[in-house]
Amino acid sequence: MLSLRDVTASIARTTILNGVSLDVAGGQTAGLVGRNGAGKTTLMRAIMGLLAISRGEIRLDDHELTRMPPHQRAGIAVGYMPEDRRLVPNFTVKENILLPLWATGRGPDQNRLDWVFELMPEIAGSAERKAVTLSGGQQKLVALGRALICGKRLLLLDEPFEGVAPALARRLAEVIADLQSEGVTVVLSESDYTHSVGLLNRLFVIERGVVEERDLTVA
Amino acid sequence: MNRRMDPTLVSLAAALPVLLVLGYALPDWLTFYLQVSLASGLAALAVMLQMRAGLVNFGQGLYYCLGAYAGGMSGHFLGITDALVLLLLAVVLSVAVSFIVGFLVARYREIFYAMLSLALSMILYGLLVRAEALGSTDGFNLPSTTFLGYAPEGQALREAGYVFTCIVALAIAAAVHRYLRSPLGAIGEAVRENELRVEYLGASPRYVVHLIYVMAAAIAGIGGVLAGISVGHVDPNLAYWTTSGQFVFIALLSGTGNVAAPLIGAFLLVMIRVYAVEYSPYTWQMILGGVMLLIIMFLPGGLWSLTRLRKKGGLT
Repeated sequence: MLSLRDVTASIARTTILNGVSLDVAGGQTAGLVGRNGAGKTTLMRAIMGLLAISRGEIRLDDHELTRMPPHQRAGIAVGYMPEDRRLVPNFTVKENILLPLWATGRGPDQNRLDWVFELMPEIAGSAERKAVTLSGGQQKLVALGRALICGKRLLLLDEPFEGVAPALARRLAEVIADLQSEGVTVVLSESDYTHSVGLLNRLFVIERGVVEERDLTVA
Repeated sequence: MNRRMDPTLVSLAAALPVLLVLGYALPDWLTFYLQVSLASGLAALAVMLQMRAGLVNFGQGLYYCLGAYAGGMSGHFLGITDALVLLLLAVVLSVAVSFIVGFLVARYREIFYAMLSLALSMILYGLLVRAEALGSTDGFNLPSTTFLGYAPEGQALREAGYVFTCIVALAIAAAVHRYLRSPLGAIGEAVRENELRVEYLGASPRYVVHLIYVMAAAIAGIGGVLAGISVGHVDPNLAYWTTSGQFVFIALLSGTGNVAAPLIGAFLLVMIRVYAVEYSPYTWQMILGGVMLLIIMFLPGGLWSLTRLRKKGGLT
């Protein structure tokens, strides 16, 4: 379970997250919805440890994340897909996907790689192509594949549907839906939940750094 | 797994007999320059290793000098003359110092990394200049090197030193190539592209930079001890900022595309300088500057990028 208690964070003396508390059980898919500047990316970065929080506690199962260095999260099976993809342009698709395994010093996990390629056959065919030669949408899929290779426990997807063609957005949604059967906890942020409404078990709305849970049946 | 022979490793293996034949075919003065170039080329390779991770070290002379002095002092004061032992001592000293200093250096990037490394090399220079027991600015001579019990003299000593330098330089280049092609080497490249990404993918950029710094120090230390064996003399100028600048110059001139590039670039630089001094003794620095300017303007990827242009059909 991902658990946040009273998480508060500031950037340049401006409070961006204001006492955020939420729980997402293992295997659930939670949506974090809010307009631009509401604090979605900041919350993702705080969970990843890329932004220090001034107050509160973040836990994932029995792991205390609050003071854990960011690079140790991949080692406890947390995958993160940032909004801007951030692939290594000169690496092939396969190398980009394997990067978290290399970074954590684990050997190649062929089964997991096969599973990623099975989930997204579109990128399996481009495994040996350099990332720089891919379209924006394909790069998004590779970034998702890279997050999936280590994100067996928790997957944080920051605006996964942003700037992608509707057909690809539907494809991404299918891939994320398939993850539920794998027991992966997914938190995805969006400006609206057009693409993900069918995927979500939980819906959190963030506004000016304050998070409230909404009833999905009403939403 | 791709079982095809790695062209770089094949080329490095093929370069050894070529270099050995050249050693006997070329005049002594040219063989000497080749030997010294391989030694300084290793220090440039160390600079290149850091450049691949987005770091520019303007003080690689620190470890080049440490390696040379470790070898020199072991021979001069302890009577240790075996080349392999000298090499080992140089590596141990370079690794030990860089491991400690690395905790500080690995915190910095860009110009701060460059300037801090430069400052550290100048501290060593200052210490050596003041050390009268080590010959101060004059340095000191090394006793004749031995090779696993073989103690050649005169021409045989020069030849043995040349063969030893060729073998070590190519072996180190091959090892660096294997490292760059490994997952760990890939992480270094990822650090250059974006540190934050490396952080959330599971590696600490600071640890990666620290590791690269230590590896580069070991390589430069080996280059230093080989330089000492080649020249038979060490002095504080090995740590002076112009020596470090020369390694950066070689790395820029040759490019970072292949481990062989700095070794070739080091020899090219020596040759450019030799002929520039020969034909223009009072303005040879201007010629070197002009060459650098041309490289930056027309070949920003260094001379090695010519091989890529050729593959693309840009050159015939």
